[in-house]
Amino acid sequence: MEFRPTLVAFLCNWCSYTGADLAGTSRLHYAPNIRIIRIMCSGRIEPTFVLKAFQQGADGVLICGCHPGDCHYQEGNYKCLRRYKLIQKYTQQMGIEKERLRLEWISASEGKQFAELVNDMTKTLLQVGPSKVKGTLEVEHLKK
Amino acid sequence: MEEPRIGVYICWCGTNIAKMVDVEAVASEVSSMPHVVLAKNYKYMCSDPGQELIIKDIKVHNLNRVIVAACSPRIHELTFRTACEKAGINPYLFEMANIREQDSWVHTDRSEATKKAIDLVIAAIRRVRFHEALEKRSVSVNPATLVIGGGIAGMTASLEIAASGKQVYLVEKADHLGGMVAQLDLTFPHLSSAQQIIHPLIQRVKNNPNIKVFLNTQIQQVHGYIGNFNTTILQNGNESVEIEFGNIIAAVGLKPFDPVVIPEYGYKKIPDVVTSVEFEQMLLSGLIQTSEGKDPRNVAIIHCVGSRNKKFHEYCSRVCCMTALKYVHQIRAALPDANIFEVYADMRAYGKGHEEFYAHTTHKQIIFLMFDQQTGLPRIRKAGAADKCNIIIEMDELLSGISIEVPVDMVVLMTNMEAHDDVKEVVRSIGVSLCGNQFFIEKHPKLDPVATTTGGVYIVGGCQGPKDIPDSVSQARAAAARILATIAQESVPVEVTTAQVNELLCCGCQTCVRVCPYSAVSYDESKKSSVVNEVLCKGCGTCGAACPAGAIKCKHFTDSQILAEIEGIMSLSYKY
Ligand SMILES: Cc1cc2nc3c(=O)[nH]c(=O)nc-3n(C[C@H](O)[C@H](O)[C@H](O)COP(=O)(O)OP(=O)(O)OC[C@H]3O[C@@H](n4cnc5c(N)ncnc54)[C@H](O)[C@@H]3O)c2cc1C
Ligand code: SF4
Ligand code: SF4
Ligand code: SF4
Ligand code: FES
Repeated sequence: MEFRPTLVAFLCNWCSYTGADLAGTSRLHYAPNIRIIRIMCSGRIEPTFVLKAFQQGADGVLICGCHPGDCHYQEGNYKCLRRYKLIQKYTQQMGIEKERLRLEWISASEGKQFAELVNDMTKTLLQVGPSKVKGTLEVEHLKK
Repeated sequence: MEEPRIGVYICWCGTNIAKMVDVEAVASEVSSMPHVVLAKNYKYMCSDPGQELIIKDIKVHNLNRVIVAACSPRIHELTFRTACEKAGINPYLFEMANIREQDSWVHTDRSEATKKAIDLVIAAIRRVRFHEALEKRSVSVNPATLVIGGGIAGMTASLEIAASGKQVYLVEKADHLGGMVAQLDLTFPHLSSAQQIIHPLIQRVKNNPNIKVFLNTQIQQVHGYIGNFNTTILQNGNESVEIEFGNIIAAVGLKPFDPVVIPEYGYKKIPDVVTSVEFEQMLLSGLIQTSEGKDPRNVAIIHCVGSRNKKFHEYCSRVCCMTALKYVHQIRAALPDANIFEVYADMRAYGKGHEEFYAHTTHKQIIFLMFDQQTGLPRIRKAGAADKCNIIIEMDELLSGISIEVPVDMVVLMTNMEAHDDVKEVVRSIGVSLCGNQFFIEKHPKLDPVATTTGGVYIVGGCQGPKDIPDSVSQARAAAARILATIAQESVPVEVTTAQVNELLCCGCQTCVRVCPYSAVSYDESKKSSVVNEVLCKGCGTCGAACPAGAIKCKHFTDSQILAEIEGIMSLSYKY
């Protein structure tokens, strides 16, 4: 069967989730393989969430927060950026290609950018192919 | 944990969802999942009958968890939470799946959209099992208000609040009240006197026993949260006063842009090139004269100075076009024979009475010359000895398509209005943010333009974005009404989805203390553990993500809730 990449996205409530809603209100179309999870701020992202998504079968994980300076909680997105770089290191060590994990800033008015981002990442994942770590990763020990 | 009894409702949203998602298939697919007591689909879940359906089912079937798959939670989460509450279950035992904005409206393949809806509902079912009842909390409201900025907006708001007998602390940076309006002569579009508007207001503020004015005063860091703020005020740089207040209004206005940075205009180099604010002073003095003490025979007024130009400020300052037209009337009255040139890029007459004012002004025998900001600004130079004027403006005139030279004796630059230099310190001290143009950001541009995302902090007048007097006054009164309503309630609800430290797991590393943007976490030496002040906590979850010991629980966004959601969200995609 043809490969259909699964994309899990963590979106902060104030900018990015609202931007994704705007894509809907504007009736922009994008690839249906994305599954969105709402968090209050990108600063809430922990490595466990990303790894869990890969373990559960995601071919790609997308994290979106407010643009630098616009975080509803002042600086959660900067904290996320720092953590993202660490998570990238972990995941690459585990053999997860770096293209599979992406952090992008999407504002509440960027519905179009969000739709384009989803399509773009889907295209990348089609090239990278199915993730090899589905079901094999051990996640639980990472907490602590 | 009590056994979850989940009711699932799939909304058609008329055809909005039902056209792209097979709502019946979604309901039947999830109906046999563990803990799901019933799964129904209905035409409009948010309608009264839709909500009644939930309320009835909760009672009849003893549901203790509810899921609605419909529009975005940003639209109707509160509606359904309230319905749950009416039926007697805690509103935080509700969960929503977004199958409209993030599914039916953005996809075109019905089977894919249906599959996605099923995934989203399964994720919600897994997540809702971990929901916990959260108790609403509220804090008392100190009835005093801090107003920062004593311009027309700040004074209007102060008077409105003081009229209800409530205390106002009005902090003004300058040595006098009145702001920009105190520097104006007449106002557009009715040519009424600015002084007659502002001076009675200043007197009323000074005489009002409920308003304490602090002149020459800058605001220090404000501590606390909605209903209970406090700060120290440094008056005249030394005397410090402690004040406590429940709400804050920022009304710091804007300042005129300095045109020195535009080389084409020769401001400060060529005599008789003045800014609009300087021209107002001339008008107030009653004499329009050149630096040589002569009546100017030709006056040019240049629009958009520093505005609508990416090199300076991209935005429109909104008041300068009408102010420029106002000058036509004032110059015409003082100098009946003078030639007046309106050198403009676009004429913006958006407000009530403005278009009429524009039409009326065009009959004043004036010459309109248009330029294009993209292709080049007019260039101002000092006239030579042989010229019969002081100044020459060279420009590519857009309407005629030719390059011309305009001889004049005086140029008025309609300067842009921009943020004060200290605006960053002001926003930092009261915990709000600025947009890219350095204007204070409102909570919602359309639905909540005077509030901010920080509870108890309001923004009015120019600092929220350039605006005229009527708009500044409207905002001031709106914010005052909001604050008086809060004061009347005597208490306000605060965030309940806060963070909580498990003292047994905390290792005392204090990472959380360092990462919290609101100083809501502190370290308790006696307990050897960090503790969250739940009134200060805004629930961002940053500390929870940072804690190396997993000791922090971010209520409603706990690890278990998010991990359960992840487990559910690829149920079908993984299978196929
Ligand atoms: C040349 C010109 C002509 C105009 N003509 C008209 C007109 O004809 N009709 C019309 O409707 N509008 C006109 N306007 C617009 C009008 O001036 C504004 O709408 C009005 O001033 C907005 O009031 P405000 O109270 O928001 O701000 P401001 O008038 O700017 O007042 C802000 C106050 O806050 C103080 N402040 C600043 N920073 C701090 C701080 N950190 N701490 C404490 N205090 C601080 C300032 O000193 C000032 O007193 C004109 C503007 C200009 C520049
Ligand atoms: S109001 Fe008129 S002069 Fe002022 S910036 Fe806007 S367009 Fe330019
Ligand atoms: S980060 Fe966690 S372990 Fe460290 S002090 Fe805070 S709660 Fe305790
Ligand atoms: S959730 Fe955010 S605001 Fe609350 S204590 Fe943690 S870091 Fe501070
Ligand atoms: S709220 Fe969007 S990144 Fe913090």
